[in-house]
Amino acid sequence: MAITYTHPLDKHLRLERIPTLYCPGCGLGIGLGAMLRALDKRISEGVIDPRKVFWVGGIGCTARMVFYVNYDAAHVIHGRSIPFAIGAVLANPELKAIVVGGDGDIAGIGGNHLVHAARRNIDMIVVMFTNFVYAMTGGQVAPTTPRKVKTTTTPYGNPEYPMNAVKLVGSLNANYVARASVTTPHYIEQFFYKALGMSGFRFIEVVSTCPEVYGRHIGLRDPVEMYNELKKRVKYKHKPSLEEAEIDWEKGIVIGEFIERNNPSFIEILRGGQA
Amino acid sequence: MRKTFASGNIAIAEGAMTAGLKFYAGYPITPSSEIMEYLAEKLPRKGGVVIQMEDEIGSINAIIGASWAGVKAMTATSGPGFSLMAEALGLAVMSETPIVVVDVMRAGPSTGVPTKTSQSDVLQVRWAAHGDYIIPVYAPWSVQEAYDLTVKAFNTAELLRTPVILLSDAVIAHLWEPLTIYERGEIEVIDRKIPVESSGTPYPPYKPDPDLVPPMPVFGRGFKTIVESLTHDEKGFYAPRDDAQKALVKRLVLKILKRIDYIYEQETRFTEDAEVLLVSYGSTARSVLNVVLELRKRGIKAGFLRLKTLWPLDEERIRKSSSAKKIIVVENNIGKIYMDIDRIFKDREVYPAPVISLDLPTPKDVLEVVEQWL
Amino acid sequence: MVFTGLTQQSVIGLITRSSSKYRVNIIVDRCKECGICISVCPTKVLERSNILNKYGYHPPEPVNIDKCIGCKLCEYNCPDFAVFIEKVG
Repeated sequence: MAITYTHPLDKHLRLERIPTLYCPGCGLGIGLGAMLRALDKRISEGVIDPRKVFWVGGIGCTARMVFYVNYDAAHVIHGRSIPFAIGAVLANPELKAIVVGGDGDIAGIGGNHLVHAARRNIDMIVVMFTNFVYAMTGGQVAPTTPRKVKTTTTPYGNPEYPMNAVKLVGSLNANYVARASVTTPHYIEQFFYKALGMSGFRFIEVVSTCPEVYGRHIGLRDPVEMYNELKKRVKYKHKPSLEEAEIDWEKGIVIGEFIERNNPSFIEILRGGQA
Repeated sequence: MRKTFASGNIAIAEGAMTAGLKFYAGYPITPSSEIMEYLAEKLPRKGGVVIQMEDEIGSINAIIGASWAGVKAMTATSGPGFSLMAEALGLAVMSETPIVVVDVMRAGPSTGVPTKTSQSDVLQVRWAAHGDYIIPVYAPWSVQEAYDLTVKAFNTAELLRTPVILLSDAVIAHLWEPLTIYERGEIEVIDRKIPVESSGTPYPPYKPDPDLVPPMPVFGRGFKTIVESLTHDEKGFYAPRDDAQKALVKRLVLKILKRIDYIYEQETRFTEDAEVLLVSYGSTARSVLNVVLELRKRGIKAGFLRLKTLWPLDEERIRKSSSAKKIIVVENNIGKIYMDIDRIFKDREVYPAPVISLDLPTPKDVLEVVEQWL
Repeated sequence: MVFTGLTQQSVIGLITRSSSKYRVNIIVDRCKECGICISVCPTKVLERSNILNKYGYHPPEPVNIDKCIGCKLCEYNCPDFAVFIEKVG
């Protein structure tokens, strides 16, 4: 019984940059681990060549995942990870793009690119971590922040209705739209594994915990409490409808695979010369 | 080599294809749109891709991504679109990404007159993004030169791992002139340095060679590269330290300045005996040359200096180009390059001759502004 | 017990304990003491230890190792790649 000293995911990480800068109990690391386990499986199956994978992130806590992974990676500017990935995959269609970002990066400042990449069904996987807040800059209101929540820029409570990215992307031409939670890492792994085997635009929203700058605003004192509060509210459903994608902290958050299509991807259309 | 008749916009598209363009992303904007339209037809036949993005921000970020995928990439726009590209231009500088951005100038500020010309972006293209850097800017004055300088813009981008600006204007864009198009092999085409195949350990993407330019570990070859917008060390790791910031900024600037002999181009005429030197660039220089000839007919010893490279300037070459005591800078804006010329010739009389004209300033327009200083 | 082992990159301290079926390993200097692993374990194998790692956090310790059922919830829910479970024998 030889003792191994390495974590099974170490080969996918840039170990000299671990530990991450994430706060204790941040859900992002859980999500990243689940994604790497799925990627590891696809690599060992021979479906994915790790040399052809690249990760892109814009700006924000989530985006920084890209420099912790032992792959080609781009840590670009705020909101522009999707167009960067578009250029790379169209220039070399052998490449596999994994875009990661927070809801501010992907759906806020980058929202227009999200809409049009989904409409074009461009070949990439976008994993958006929704933590309901702008975390890196200190807890300002985000496009996904629920109504009435007090943040550093909504001290009297958020007056706005939040954006629902699953409904938005699902209404377009994306081949895959799913939602999981950091409290269900096995679903993140399962959905990401499936996405890695598909073509076209694949979108996974991961509801995450930000114990440091969001949890505190809503009165949750520590990472475990926030994790458990989110876990209580998350409900898996088999093939839920887009209507069921509504995020309601009181009524619960439905996770599952909302959309699964096999529409020709942008690259497939370019290659086939289809109009 | 083939001879044809083309517009400036077509010449830019042809020049890009000669240089090896394989990816174009753009957003329609007058007076640049024909570049994308022409490429949309021609480039796919040469194995390239053209995509019309949702905006100019998407366009420039897409070409940065394409460049990291290992191909030559370009976008073209006009002033309003260029303004939107400013932040990503900084990303291209910081990540040392070779790209070519074409700005076909039109009148501004703001929407201005989309169909009409101007030279008012000459400082914007130089300083668009925040932070410290120097990027090369080329300004053609003819259809043939639009072609030649597009090839040169790609060569400079690939040689120095930098974004390069090709600064055209509405006059050159829609001017039709004879054009000679070269095949690969008939003209110098430079390709970026790429490291030899990786052993599997991460390749430091910002470790420079003696020329201060790092070989570019493009995606898909096992380099485990990091494209980094944060201040970084040679490995591409975030380095929020004074020494790292100084070293990086210094190298980003010096790698360009070291090759000013390659980057900087100018044209002089009648400078040997010139007592009055007229300095100009781009489309306006066409009328200025006419005025120089007119002045010489009148017995005034006028000389002509045309800048083909608007940034960085080879100050020594400019100083030595003429011993004229009086220098007049003619440009279709409020007098912007004048500020450089005044600084470079600080021991002589330098005068601005701004012409603000929606069309190519006529020789008469130019003569009017020049005469007040004679 | 605490082992010191050499990984590809650096020397790490490892807390490791085995039952007849599973071994629970904690990489000491990766832990940020968030407590999620302790909370998600269905059989309460883990407890906060008195060990102080180099960042000043107390990593967990598999005190009740015999109760481990090998579900890996601690490994999958650790945000810092600090916990991993191996099958023994």
